[in-house]
Amino acid sequence: MAAERAGTGARGTLRLRVEGLTRRFPGVLALDGVGLEGRPGEVLGVVGENGAGKSTLMKILAGIDAPDGGAMELDGASWAPRTPREAADGGVALIHQELCLAENLSVAANIALGREPTRMGFVDRDAAREMAREALGTVRAAIDPDAIVEGLSAGERQLVEIAKGLAGGAKVVIFDEPTSSLTAGESEALFDVVRELRDQGVLVLYVSHRLHEITDLCDRAAVLRDGRNAAALEGSELNRSALVQAMVGRAESELVSPTAAVPRASTAPRLSARGLRTADWPAASLDIDVAPGEIVGIAGLVGAGRTELLETIFGLRAAVAGDLSLDGAPFIPDGPRAAIASGVALVPEDRKLHGLLLEESIRWNVALATLTARRRGPFVDTAAERSVVEERSSALGVRASSIEQPTGTLSGGNQQKVVIGRWLEARPRLLLLDEPTRGVDVGAREEIYRILEELCAEGLSVLFASSDLEELLRLGQRILVMHEGELTGNVARADADERLLMTLATGGDALAPTTSLEANP
Amino acid sequence: MKRPAGGVPMSGWRNRSGAPTVRDMTPSPLRSTLLHRRVLPALALAALAACGGAADSGGPRFAYVTNGVDPFWNVAGAGARAAATEFGVDVDLVFPEGGAVDQKQKLEDLLIRGVDGIAVAVIDGKNMVSFMDDIAGKTHLITHDSDAPDSKRRCFVGVDNYACGRACGELLREALPDGGKVALFVGRLEQENAQLRRQGVIDALLDRSFDSTRRDAADATPSGNGFTIVATRTDGFDKSLAKSNAEDILVAHPDLAGMVGLFAYNAPACLEALRSQDKLGKVEISAFDEQVATLDAIAKGTVLGTVSQNPFQYGYHSVRILNGLHAGDESVLPEGGTLTVDPTVVTRENLEEFRAKLEKDIAAGS
Amino acid sequence: MNVRGKVLGIFGLLVAVVLFTGFMNPRFFSADNLENVVQRTSLYGILGIGAAFSIVTGGIDLSIGSVVGLSATILPMLITAGVPAPAAVLGVLLIGALLGAIHGLLITRVGLQPFVVTLCGLLVYRGIARRISGDQTLGIDDEALRSLATGSPFSIGSFDVPAPVFLLLIVGVLAALFLGRSVWGRWLLALGRNPEAAHYAGVPVDRMIVVAYVLSSLLAALGGVLFALDIGSIQPAAMGNFYELYAIAAAVLGGCSLRGGEGSILGVVLGAAVMRLLYNSIVLLGIPSQLEFAIVGGVLLLGAIADETVRKIAGKRRAAERARARSQDTTS
Repeated sequence: MAAERAGTGARGTLRLRVEGLTRRFPGVLALDGVGLEGRPGEVLGVVGENGAGKSTLMKILAGIDAPDGGAMELDGASWAPRTPREAADGGVALIHQELCLAENLSVAANIALGREPTRMGFVDRDAAREMAREALGTVRAAIDPDAIVEGLSAGERQLVEIAKGLAGGAKVVIFDEPTSSLTAGESEALFDVVRELRDQGVLVLYVSHRLHEITDLCDRAAVLRDGRNAAALEGSELNRSALVQAMVGRAESELVSPTAAVPRASTAPRLSARGLRTADWPAASLDIDVAPGEIVGIAGLVGAGRTELLETIFGLRAAVAGDLSLDGAPFIPDGPRAAIASGVALVPEDRKLHGLLLEESIRWNVALATLTARRRGPFVDTAAERSVVEERSSALGVRASSIEQPTGTLSGGNQQKVVIGRWLEARPRLLLLDEPTRGVDVGAREEIYRILEELCAEGLSVLFASSDLEELLRLGQRILVMHEGELTGNVARADADERLLMTLATGGDALAPTTSLEANP
Repeated sequence: MKRPAGGVPMSGWRNRSGAPTVRDMTPSPLRSTLLHRRVLPALALAALAACGGAADSGGPRFAYVTNGVDPFWNVAGAGARAAATEFGVDVDLVFPEGGAVDQKQKLEDLLIRGVDGIAVAVIDGKNMVSFMDDIAGKTHLITHDSDAPDSKRRCFVGVDNYACGRACGELLREALPDGGKVALFVGRLEQENAQLRRQGVIDALLDRSFDSTRRDAADATPSGNGFTIVATRTDGFDKSLAKSNAEDILVAHPDLAGMVGLFAYNAPACLEALRSQDKLGKVEISAFDEQVATLDAIAKGTVLGTVSQNPFQYGYHSVRILNGLHAGDESVLPEGGTLTVDPTVVTRENLEEFRAKLEKDIAAGS
Repeated sequence: MNVRGKVLGIFGLLVAVVLFTGFMNPRFFSADNLENVVQRTSLYGILGIGAAFSIVTGGIDLSIGSVVGLSATILPMLITAGVPAPAAVLGVLLIGALLGAIHGLLITRVGLQPFVVTLCGLLVYRGIARRISGDQTLGIDDEALRSLATGSPFSIGSFDVPAPVFLLLIVGVLAALFLGRSVWGRWLLALGRNPEAAHYAGVPVDRMIVVAYVLSSLLAALGGVLFALDIGSIQPAAMGNFYELYAIAAAVLGGCSLRGGEGSILGVVLGAAVMRLLYNSIVLLGIPSQLEFAIVGGVLLLGAIADETVRKIAGKRRAAERARARSQDTTS
């Protein structure tokens, strides 16, 4: 990966140097003497579990937060930006993890936001458009500066976001989980942009949970753990198992406990869908079976209809046609309540929007779907609720000061456990999960997989959708593949690999895999 | 305190003439929010009490309570203050903005605070009788502007609205010797003072006998003596509606000869309507009350004249009577329990004189 | 926790206003005056509790004042028409509940915004009240019925406990149990926090929103009945004007967040009491009545500033807690 390339003439000089950086929050040391060095024209990966200090470090570099101690240098000069604006003017651009564009404004207006060129006190629209066109050019994006952001795809928005960051003439560009909402194709385009920036002599700091992105894209990687430098990997050391070991402090083999892919033999399927047509893809007729105790994954690109399928089974969306049955009995989900009453539960994709009441406690959130089951007369049985939630919470290994802690203050993994706990409390026969471990770090992921596998051993059926091929292959005993609303594949784990799944997911012929998908060997 | 019991039905209630409900300062809305601090509000109250509290001369203290907020009441208040200065007493001017509920609560609070007499423009003289009796049992109580005749109030200070209406009608009749079409404008016709004024105007124009119990239906178009009353339009105290009412009538009756504004803001609204349709001076207007726009128009000749109820006298006599009662002097009470304040008909001839007196009165009360 | 802090804050404010006014004018503590203030607090408090239900869902009910006006208008008309008093009261309450149900259905089924629905209600009900009464002033002279608002069933020393206090007590206790203890209350708070998440968790969101607006209008109608009985004189054009704002102010003052999901019935009652105390003390202290709005608005504003300051401090503490949780997460 570390081949000769243009724009690396100043390879010996440091673009960015961070030394002994500390940041203390009340009760926790987020950064504990972290160091970092980056040269122009390289891609430096920054990895670590949630809470390792990556985000704090990036925020300090970009002027959003300030350190308590340590030194930073940019091109040999002391670097201490006090605001994001100052950082951008100095040449450090942070491309946000969660896209923050004004959806109702044009691309040009977004790119020029906060530094609008003016003429006689009014915004000079022509100059703003020119500024946008130039910035979009550096990321090779063919996007109309006058287009309204609302109408753009997630990938296009990401490019606009990057262009916005570059419009100030950046020397250092920080990407924080840039691919979390992108499809495979869009991610590829993004990687091209990253390489392009590198070739132009920019120092790219690349933060990601997706380890294959780090190994593929980065020249070097800094691993953080508990606010300290855990490892600096380069060249042949920069591989998946070394990263995991450095992040977690244990070898990967200790974490992963692959279970045998043995679906139980059973006559009546737990879930059976015949001729199911969702409102979003009415032309596609779906036949799906899930056996009792089976874990079935659904692969597909963003927009392939996976979420729509799960939400239709859960009754959040009305089906256009088709028959559903549970354990042989007809099942008509005309709303979440009906689905829950029939023993179907859904862990939604967007935990913060659809899953949790972030201001409320673990107790409230776990109890929410089963209040009526425990009620005493019209009242909530708080005592029963407390003991039930305590039990569930410790069984799932939720890490919190108490069950009264607001869920908004939990880490992603623990939040997901709370949502799963809510649904396990409803004792479902069929658990639907949409992106079961999005935003969950490696350690907690494994715990969630293990919990699901244990429950399935006791007879629960799981149907989950995921964009993460590693996850599909790790958890799914059988994998369905969707493409534009249609089922394009039904593969046993033993027969599946990432290339096959991606081929099916992109609508390609399984026998002739497309070359553009070879990014994930 | 015992809460007032039910009202004894009888007698109409009278409300101040043009009382448009100006949403000014006084009780009512306050927007949202959350609280916490204990010291700041107390400080705020202290500061306000210090700067705005009524002066205390040590003498008796009376309260002059209106039925709302209106320029009319400022003149009446000036009268009350002038009397207070003259007799060496204190008077609190209280303007309840929030209707009958607010007036009742303010009166209750005044009783607690302790006053030596109250003059009140009763919002509902029919149903608030027992409450008035309750107050009369605790302090000297008189009514002004609008009465509660069945209560134990000591006397009433006000005008004869029917006579006022006739005086207003006479102005128009003199200016239109050949008669013609006339339209009337008023805030609300349900109030007795409005009904009496309207009837007075109609009876004067149609040259009928003096009978304040006569009533023409609200949508009637009586005619006689060369005059036809084409309409009586109400606006619910909405001034912009008052103007569009006048405009609509002008469009519907291009040959309209006269307009009468029964409430204070109606004549200025008619003027605006005429101005917008370029008919200023072509239609005669007679008015009620002494709004600046009305008086200016009288000077220019675009309004014939106006009937002033002399609100200054309301305030002055109210405080004078309360002061007498407090001193044990029953002779201040008018005969028959009603002190009728004479209205002043203001035309171009006596305009300057009236204005000078009005200014002097207000100055005396400030 | 947060709500409890707000309730404590509003209680502190109440004590401050009481002590200050009483210090400036000792007559404030006379039994008569306390009776007045308690009686008024009861009436406005009932409206505030109604407003709290719509606010807890993250909505708003602007029609409260007009529902007060309409029910206060219908009640004497029914009585005059010969309907027995209990039936008339019940009828008015039913009408209130029905109006609330219409609001709720328009919001959930038609998908209109609560602000729009209840703003239209504010206009429509005022118009209806004025039309059916012909803008005539109405009176109620049924003494037995009026004692519901003006009477006093017993005395404590020289303090005649006003009858509406008992209604407030009943309504308040029921509302507090409903919101704080019942399954439905939990659902209301949950959907106020995050309607989407509540829906995904199987909470009957639409039905609960309808319930909230029914309660709001029902209590507004009850308030209308009590105001009508208290004053005995109803001007349909003016009765209840702006009362929705008093109710919303009391609710928000008492710890309800306009973002939804937070509320305390005790806080709302205290909020209503503070508002009434301010008006009372303005008269007792001889402050010119023109300043009324300015004073009440100023006190509310200071309270809001204080609250926001406290919230920011609490927010910082929470951020620290989160950071600590994260670090525990990775270390364990």
